[in-house]
Order: sequence, then structure tokens, then C-alpha cells
Amino acid sequence: MAAILQTHSLGISFGGLKAVQDLNLTLNEGDLVGLIGPNGAGKTTVFNLLTGIYLPTTGDIIFKGESIVGLKPYQIAAKGITRTFQNIRLFGELSVLENVLIARHLHVPYNMMHAIFRVGKFYQGEKEMRDEAYELLKIMNLAHKAEEKAKNLPYGEQRRLEIARALATHPSLLLLDEPAAGMNPRETTELMELIGFIRSKFNVTILLIEHDMHLVMNICEQIYVLDYGVNIAHGTPEEIKNNPRVIEAYLGEGA
Amino acid sequence: MYSAEIISPFVMLNLIIIAINIILAVSLNLVVGFTGQFSIGHAGFMALGAYASAIMSLNFNAPFIVSLLVGAIVAGIGGIIIGIPTLRLRGDYLAIATLGLAEIIRGVITNIDYLGGAYGLMGIPQRTNWLWAFGCMLVTVLVIKNFIQSSHGRACISVRENEIAAEAMGINTTKYKVIAFTMGSFFAGIGGALLAHYITFIEPNAFNFLKSFDILVMVVLGGQGSLTGSVVAAIVLTLISTFLQSLAELRLIIYAIILILVMLFRPQGLLGTHELSFKLLQRKRGVSHGSHSADA
Repeated sequence: MAAILQTHSLGISFGGLKAVQDLNLTLNEGDLVGLIGPNGAGKTTVFNLLTGIYLPTTGDIIFKGESIVGLKPYQIAAKGITRTFQNIRLFGELSVLENVLIARHLHVPYNMMHAIFRVGKFYQGEKEMRDEAYELLKIMNLAHKAEEKAKNLPYGEQRRLEIARALATHPSLLLLDEPAAGMNPRETTELMELIGFIRSKFNVTILLIEHDMHLVMNICEQIYVLDYGVNIAHGTPEEIKNNPRVIEAYLGEGA
Repeated sequence: MYSAEIISPFVMLNLIIIAINIILAVSLNLVVGFTGQFSIGHAGFMALGAYASAIMSLNFNAPFIVSLLVGAIVAGIGGIIIGIPTLRLRGDYLAIATLGLAEIIRGVITNIDYLGGAYGLMGIPQRTNWLWAFGCMLVTVLVIKNFIQSSHGRACISVRENEIAAEAMGINTTKYKVIAFTMGSFFAGIGGALLAHYITFIEPNAFNFLKSFDILVMVVLGGQGSLTGSVVAAIVLTLISTFLQSLAELRLIIYAIILILVMLFRPQGLLGTHELSFKLLQRKRGVSHGSHSADA
């Protein structure tokens, strides 16, 4: 299997604080990888580095064989990396359908002039986009809420919509930032099944941050553990569970 | 023309001013309401359009349509030049920058003798009639509506809703801000050109920041993100200011009171982000069950 994403001694400092140091991630195509660590370990910072929101102070990010360091977030999205946000960032005033449609804009089949003059290509393209968006909403079990304002959805559905929106860009690498946060155990179980299903259905590689150990240990094949910005362990769930440094990081010394 | 005999010149004047104000309000709404970029320099682009078109008519004897287009294009180019550096700014910083740049446009015009300096330009041929004004208004509203109700328009709206998420979903937010700003300036230029060829006299002071505020008030009152809201507000406010013409100072007080009342009781504006349509009326009566209105 070919590596789809690699980071080479990736790091970022904010003033004197080294938020992430010397991180070497390798994700192979089709992997489902977990990124865990105590609060403030720098997990979301890693996502912000990968998606171009932050510029790394050291190291390199290689995606599909080329460096993506220095690209703008929208360029990285166009290359095939999209994400969800820990603190949900939906287009709240817009409908569920429109949220997904906006993410389809990367692949819009008509141009601005077609839209302004309302030529046939616009109507045809718009129909294609809507059909695709509906299809995606059906898969994510949100089709019945298509016309609802995104901000009016219950929390769990907002998280699902974030995933649907990210998938609409047709990513090859999907970054999920705490997808199960705020969900009850039943919803979390459904989400676990959904993530596995998404991976095979859309053929994406998934990197996820999660605090729910039950979820991480069950669905991830590889796990990276961050503590104070340093990668302290990497391995299969079994190896991670029994790694003394991980236990120490989570529970403190002497635990 | 037959209409001139039925409609008195006074009413005609108002209809034309209403049409021009609709053009201005709708084009500013594209920037402020839909794209969420708080610009208060719209009068600056009006000035560019008014002066460019007036020069075309006065010095080059251009046909009206050419003057109009030149005015619009000059304003549009002004929009690109001003938009690219300022649209990096957010919120109140952007507001101050656009306000300042519009005043700079006015200042520059005041100091160019070719443009009549502080005295302005006189004797512009009166070519704007009801047909031109109404036609331009229709084109403006249609183009902006078609733009907004397309994927590119949704990209602009996503910038307003959440810029970080929009970027993460592959939207080049800077590009869409500049597109919206340029389109808005282009149509402001048309508004300015129509005005210049109607009142036949323009001076830099007609395009000061108070004019920008007038337009902004229409957008805020009608609802940021509602085209029909801007149309309604442009009509209502033009009529109010006409009826209060004899009390020039009181007009500003009443304007201010209206704004304060709207902000207190309806901060999202008269229509919010809704559009006035037959579908909306049906929904209000509970007939329709919420079919999607983007293709309406």
C-alpha cells in the first residue's frame, strides 16, 4: 500500500510554546488511524497544520507525493484533504442541503456566466449537484432534514452533517475532529458503524481525533498518541493499551 | 411619450430615483448582506460611474449605452483595485477602510480640474428616462439574483456564514469576496451614471459618506441577505425622504429613528434573509410544505 500522507518532523511553535514537535505520521491509502492524547496535547493543531490553517515552523507534509506546506486551506481541500471541526462550523443560517451544495462547489459543472444568463448548462449542472447532494444526505440519514436550517438540527445530526459536507468535496483523506463529542452511547455506536461504512463506500483514508476510547480502540487500526505536542507512542490499539508511557500520560505517574 | 401625460413630472422624478436607489441597495446588499463584507464606501463607486459616464457624454459625445457601460466598468475596476487590499480586513476594520477609500475617491475627484474640481460637471445631457432607469434596475436585480442563486452565489454566502469552514471546503474566499465587491461596484457605477444623466449636474459632495450611509440604511432596513427586502426598503425610504424634503434636517432625524427602531425590534431587518415571493405567502398560509425555493 502506498503512503497517501506523510509528515516529516512536523512542528509548530507559538512564541516559546512548542505546540507540536517532530511529528512523523504515515498514513497508507485506506487506513483508519486514530490520533489521541490528553486535552491540550496538540491534536487539533495537527489538523490545522495538515489543512493549511497554520504554517508549520519545521518539517514537511507530503500528500500524494508532493509537499502541501504553504498552500492555502482551499487549495489543500481541492487536493483532497477535508475535515470536520471540533467546535462545529456549519453554515448555520443555510439549509442542510445548501451546506452540502457549497462543499460541491469544488466540482461545479457550470461557470458564472452560465448562472447569470441561466443557460441550459446551469439548470442541468444545478440538478446534478442537487441530486448528488441528496444522495449523500440519504447515506448520512439526513435527507428528511434537507430543507431545515443547519443550526436547528440536534447536536448529533449537526456532527453527521459536518461529515456529509466534508465528503461532498470528494476527499481522499478525511480528518474527523472528535466526531463523537456530545453524542450518547447509542449515537456513538451508530457513528462507529457509519465511519467504517464511509471508508469503504467512498474509498477514503480517515484520520480521527477522539476522546472516546471505546470508539478509537474498536475502529482504528493504527493509533498515534500525542502528549504535550510530542508523539509518545504509535501502534495498534492492543499495543497502545499496554504502553506504559501512554498510561502515564493519561493517568499520571505511578498509576 | 404617453406616460408623461398621465404621470406628473414629480412622480416621474421619484420613480426614477426609486429605480436608481434599488440598483444601489441591491448591489450593496450583494457585498454586505450576502457576502458579509461590511462596506460603507458605496458612494465612492457611484462617483466613479457618474464621472466616467459624464465625461464620455460631455467630451466624447458617446451614445448613452456606451457612457453607462464605461461608467460601470470604471467603477468595477475601482472595485477590484480597492477590494483586493481591503477585503483582507474583517468587520469594522473593513468598514473603516472602505469608508476612507471612498472619501479618497471623492478627494481625488475634487482636485482634478478635468473633472470640474469642487464645482463638479454641468450640462450633462439628460438621457436617463423612466425606461432606462427601470431597464437597468431590472437587469441589476436579475443578474444579482441569478448570481446569488447559483453555486458561485452560495460560495459568497458561505463566506458570510463561516469563513474558516468555507476555506476548508475548498472555497477560495478571497476570490469570491472580490467577485462580489466588483459586481457590487459595477452596478453602483450604473446607478451613478443614471443619476448623472438624470439630474445633469454632479459634484463631488453628492457622493460623500452620507450617501454611502443612505444606501447602507436601505440594505439594513430591508434585511441583509434579502434582495426583495432591499427593493422594498429602497422604495419606502425614497418615498419618506421625498415627503420630508421640506424638512431637510428632520429627515435625518427620522432616518435615525427608523434605524434605531428597526435595530431594537427587528435587528435582522424587515425581511431578514427571506425573499418576498408567492411561495412565502403560501407558506404563511400553511398551503405549501416547504419545497425548496432556490429555483423559484
